[in-house]
Amino acid sequence: MAIQLEKVVETFYENLEKGKITGKRCTKCGAVEFPPVYACNSCGCWDMEWVEISGNAKLHSIVMPAPLSNKPEYKAMGKFAYGEVELEEGSRLNAVVRGINKKKRKEILEAGKLPVPVRAAIYQRDGFKTVVFDLVED
Amino acid sequence: MNQTKVHPYQRSVSIIGVGCTPFMYTVDKEETNGLTEGELFGYAALKAMEDAGVNPQDVDFYFHGEASPLNGSNYLTPNIHVTNWFGMKGKASIHHSEACCTGYYAVEEAVNAVASGKYDCVLSGCVEFGDSLAVPNHPYRREKMTMDKFLQTTAWLYDRAYTRSLMAGQELIYDDAAEWYKRTRGLTDEQMDDTLNWMCINNRRNASKNPLAIERKTYEEYAKEAGFDNVMDYMRSPYNPKMGDFLRASGLELKCDGAAAVVVCATELVDRYMGNRSHKPIEVLGIGCAACEATTPHFEVRATEEAVRQVYEVTGVRPEEIDIFYANDFIVTSHLVAAEIAGYLPYGEGWKYICEGRTAYDGDKPINTNGGRTSFGHAHAASGLADLYEAVHQMRGEAGEGQVKKLPKTAMLRGYGGAQNICTYIIRTKD
Repeated sequence: MAIQLEKVVETFYENLEKGKITGKRCTKCGAVEFPPVYACNSCGCWDMEWVEISGNAKLHSIVMPAPLSNKPEYKAMGKFAYGEVELEEGSRLNAVVRGINKKKRKEILEAGKLPVPVRAAIYQRDGFKTVVFDLVED
Repeated sequence: MNQTKVHPYQRSVSIIGVGCTPFMYTVDKEETNGLTEGELFGYAALKAMEDAGVNPQDVDFYFHGEASPLNGSNYLTPNIHVTNWFGMKGKASIHHSEACCTGYYAVEEAVNAVASGKYDCVLSGCVEFGDSLAVPNHPYRREKMTMDKFLQTTAWLYDRAYTRSLMAGQELIYDDAAEWYKRTRGLTDEQMDDTLNWMCINNRRNASKNPLAIERKTYEEYAKEAGFDNVMDYMRSPYNPKMGDFLRASGLELKCDGAAAVVVCATELVDRYMGNRSHKPIEVLGIGCAACEATTPHFEVRATEEAVRQVYEVTGVRPEEIDIFYANDFIVTSHLVAAEIAGYLPYGEGWKYICEGRTAYDGDKPINTNGGRTSFGHAHAASGLADLYEAVHQMRGEAGEGQVKKLPKTAMLRGYGGAQNICTYIIRTKD
């Protein structure tokens, strides 16, 4: 397939407005790029197709927000943490995970529960929608 | 993650001269308020040329690094703005910017230019006003850069399309490495906190011996003044508040102003360039580079692993041959994480070396003998070359009160920054 000049970013955000969380899947090796980009970072192939991600994921690490790593506009998310999220499709990224405070983190770590299941959600920011994750409770 | 095969240089390249300004809050003092980019860069460049024993006309080309020229200096082509200051008018140059890693890529650029055979002798310098902003339409006045103004522009380090929107990559810079180290090595919260504090104490002890460092008062002195008998009680107190999930105020860079420079030449031409200079040249054995954008989990760890792999593979040097180690530690955790990934400190044991003071200048595994970013200061682009300046002086036995016990022959330096570039190199004194 020829390399296309394509508005990938705009399409990603427009899909969020339609309630769909999307990435790009490599037609050669099957790896999924999330967020979506032109070429596969696993095999280098640039023949990629749009794919809707399931939203199922795992959280591998937990860092709590603190004075340097928080912003007033994040308050609307309620309790949350940052961490390494692995999508069911294989992509790994740094993401926000809602539903975790210090007490919850302690509970997860002391029970040796990492990685814990999380689920992707569409979150309204000021002027656009983005993707966060929610802790899936037992 | 993708890997790169690095090949040996087409010809050997050596460091023959280094220069560095004091790191300063220029606008805070009458004697430094009003200094300009050309004056700082020019001073460091000429000091490096003097140290090398070369005349500006001997230098074929120069590289110029500045992390934030548009915001800090109102410059679009900052290499040109300083070009008349150090006797090289008419000679070509390139500006580059890799944020806090700029001073490390300054070495990569210069060495490649000589190793390729195109140039025989190259200058590479970096300058930054990290603590002040140019007053628009005035020839030399500057104003203090507040933390708010600083954070406005550091936000631009991160990708606009996804990273800023997803809200995590830019926030994880402060604590991700500490979380990773604590979890993978099985430390308690208290052990991790003490390790971070000891890195700051050791850095400051090192800086207390360095006349170019911006902060030379030890934490022991601060503790005593505040009525503490034990420095660690002070470090755990509200005098040193938590700014991150793990990171305390002492573990953050001291952003400031400064410049540094290096002169390199083809090793086969050292005698021609150095003339009657008595110090030995220091060969650049190899450089490894990698980058992980901030949405990549554990970006600093993963990119450091790849860059270190490259530099060991291309040089054939083993970790046990490294005598002294430098790491860009604008978040102090970096210096532990980088040293352990490089094998300079043993896996899972590095934190103990730090807490026992073994990584201070007078220990057996010295790290950041100039005081690192938390005490020497962080003039963002220039800091990497300031590390090299210190390493070279240590390797020549010219580090004064801060000289390490055993004269180092081989050094590793690991740069980091710009959300996030990694550049790691190994240098060795020529016999």
